Amino acid sequence: MLLSNFLDAKTIFFESRIRSREEIYHDMVSRICNHYPLPTCGTRLVDMILARDAESSTAYPTGIAMPHVRMDGFDDTLISICFLEHPLDYEGTPVYVIVLFITEKAASRLYLNIVAALLKLSKDEESMKILRQQKDGHSLIAAIKRFGITIKENLTISDIMETKPITIMPEQNLRELASLMNEHNQAFMPVVDERGRYLGEVDILCLLKVGVPDYLMMLDNLNFLSSYEPLENLFEQEDLLQVADIMRRDQDTLSPDASIIEASHEMIQKNKRFFAVVKNNHLYGIISAMDIFKKVIRA
Amino acid sequence: MSLMLIALVIFAATYILIITEWINKMLAAMVGGFLIVLTGIVHQEVAFRAIDWNVIFFLIGMMMVISVLKDTGIFMYIAIKTAKLAKGYPLRIMMYMFLATAFISAFMGSVTSIMILVPIVLLIAHELKITPIPFIITMVIASNMGGAATMIGDPPNILIGSATSYTFMDFILNLTPPVLIITFSSLGLIWLLYRRAMRVTNQNRVKLMEFKETGLIKNKRKLIFGLVILVLMLTALALQSVINIGTATVAMTAGLAMMLMNNRKKVDKVLTQDIDWTTIFFFMGLFMIVESLVETGFISSLAQKVLELTNSEPKATSFAILWLSGLFSAIIDNVPFVAAMIPMLEHIGVVFKTNSLPASAMHPLWWSLALGTCLGGNGTLIGASANIVAAGIAQRNGFPISFKDFTKIGAIFTLNSMLISSLFIWLRYFS
Repeated sequence: MLLSNFLDAKTIFFESRIRSREEIYHDMVSRICNHYPLPTCGTRLVDMILARDAESSTAYPTGIAMPHVRMDGFDDTLISICFLEHPLDYEGTPVYVIVLFITEKAASRLYLNIVAALLKLSKDEESMKILRQQKDGHSLIAAIKRFGITIKENLTISDIMETKPITIMPEQNLRELASLMNEHNQAFMPVVDERGRYLGEVDILCLLKVGVPDYLMMLDNLNFLSSYEPLENLFEQEDLLQVADIMRRDQDTLSPDASIIEASHEMIQKNKRFFAVVKNNHLYGIISAMDIFKKVIRA
Repeated sequence: MSLMLIALVIFAATYILIITEWINKMLAAMVGGFLIVLTGIVHQEVAFRAIDWNVIFFLIGMMMVISVLKDTGIFMYIAIKTAKLAKGYPLRIMMYMFLATAFISAFMGSVTSIMILVPIVLLIAHELKITPIPFIITMVIASNMGGAATMIGDPPNILIGSATSYTFMDFILNLTPPVLIITFSSLGLIWLLYRRAMRVTNQNRVKLMEFKETGLIKNKRKLIFGLVILVLMLTALALQSVINIGTATVAMTAGLAMMLMNNRKKVDKVLTQDIDWTTIFFFMGLFMIVESLVETGFISSLAQKVLELTNSEPKATSFAILWLSGLFSAIIDNVPFVAAMIPMLEHIGVVFKTNSLPASAMHPLWWSLALGTCLGGNGTLIGASANIVAAGIAQRNGFPISFKDFTKIGAIFTLNSMLISSLFIWLRYFS
């Protein structure tokens, strides 16, 4: 989503006079209220903004202030922007740009992502200089559009993945694999080469399978067997077999920009709780169903 | 004439692909089957009419029956019970397993019995700390023998049963006796070959006796129901001449009845995994290809040639068919071989009739074809599907069976089988 698409030229203006914070807020509110029906408007809305400002500063060191009002009975995200020729003092921080947000009551991820995009923009002095030279809302929006600033639509798995997973190389033997798994309590490991390129993966079942011969896998049922020692074979082979012998190649991977829903869908459909996160053959991390549960659902 | 040449080229190319398995067998048969339509040798209508739906639905029905019965654990139970009955003595296990394999093959087909029993024998050999290879080889041989005994045991017999008017009972009366003789004489061969070869410690033998086979039957009701349906199916097949219901319908009825015991998830699994659609479509393709040889007149001229060589004399023709099919089945897959031989025998039947020979003159020819193709499959490692499947399982478990290893043993048993078959054909039909 382009940031420029969220902006409305009618609610954007450049202020060359020296005015108070309250006066500017009044101006912003009236511009918004002229074009959008809001449950609360006028002085009451300005008071809400000031009350929010009083709680904690809405200004950032880059000279941008982003006051935010959450409104009951409202289901949109409205933005008004004011560029100031003369900076306003926000508790010691000089502010050149004020961005007012009016959003629905529930915290929206969209709002947070727009804030993140604007913050990033405010750090880029070159771009800010260009924006300040604009004369009205239309040319400002056109400039932002030219910058091609996008808003992250949603969380992607790169936001929640494990970025420094324990990895293993194909020429390492099974003893090393087993001790790594044991040491880090990891049931899943991506296999990479020395340059960090993704080659495949091993998990605890690949390791156990070494101890369970193919013919046993062909039987439907092993409940007649009580004494077979599956690990005998595993112990014998630990130093002889390499990760390359047991690893899974051609496994499905996820790209770092995959959405959470895509990752969940893949996990459920492939019945697989871990995925390597790979782009252009390079390993970026691993994502597990537990990551989604803990960092998204229970966040 | 040029059409016949194109048909022959397609036929030969397809068979080479099937035998060498350079591409998937079913793919080869399908490509060949539609190529004969595409080149205009056979019209699509005719090619489709050549597909023997009795065989196709029989196979599907049996695959359903087998899938459900296998699920009850009965076959594993029989295998473990057999090994325990042998008290863990290897030679005894080998002989008992030989009989069990032959018995299961006679009703369930050779490939099925190999897929169920070979993994168990690998486990047994592992526990006894002996090589499983002699067990696997003898079980493959047993499976091909058992398959020869009935109409439903081996694909060649299914094809012959469907193409002719022989009933299930005709197969029992004409094939089961020689196969029984062959099977028991093979036990003698096993004793001669292996009586000194295998030794196991008492300690390992006891491990085998610890197997608890009773836990294998998880659902007794399902097993009883399954066995009742199986018995009803065999009874219906045995009474075929009286009740006059087609083989495919009997098998499908049994298969569908078995499926009704299953829940939805199981049904989906059977339909997508247990029914071997690759084999089904392989058969369809074969029927279409062979039809092109029939249509272009190649089969009839081949039959003419054979009859010239044997003076159109039933006895000589029978023996020629027996030994030639034995030889060919040893080196190529016996299913495509029989598929091509059936129309040839049908043509010979027509010639016999015009020579005013009685209809019974054809009997020894058909039974020779059945015995030759099924038993000839034991000649080499690639002679029958069961051999290839068993070798594959053994290979994956670290026991590669070489062509030579198998042929050394297989050839002895095949020679024995062929000699007994010849004697049987001669005594039963010509003396």
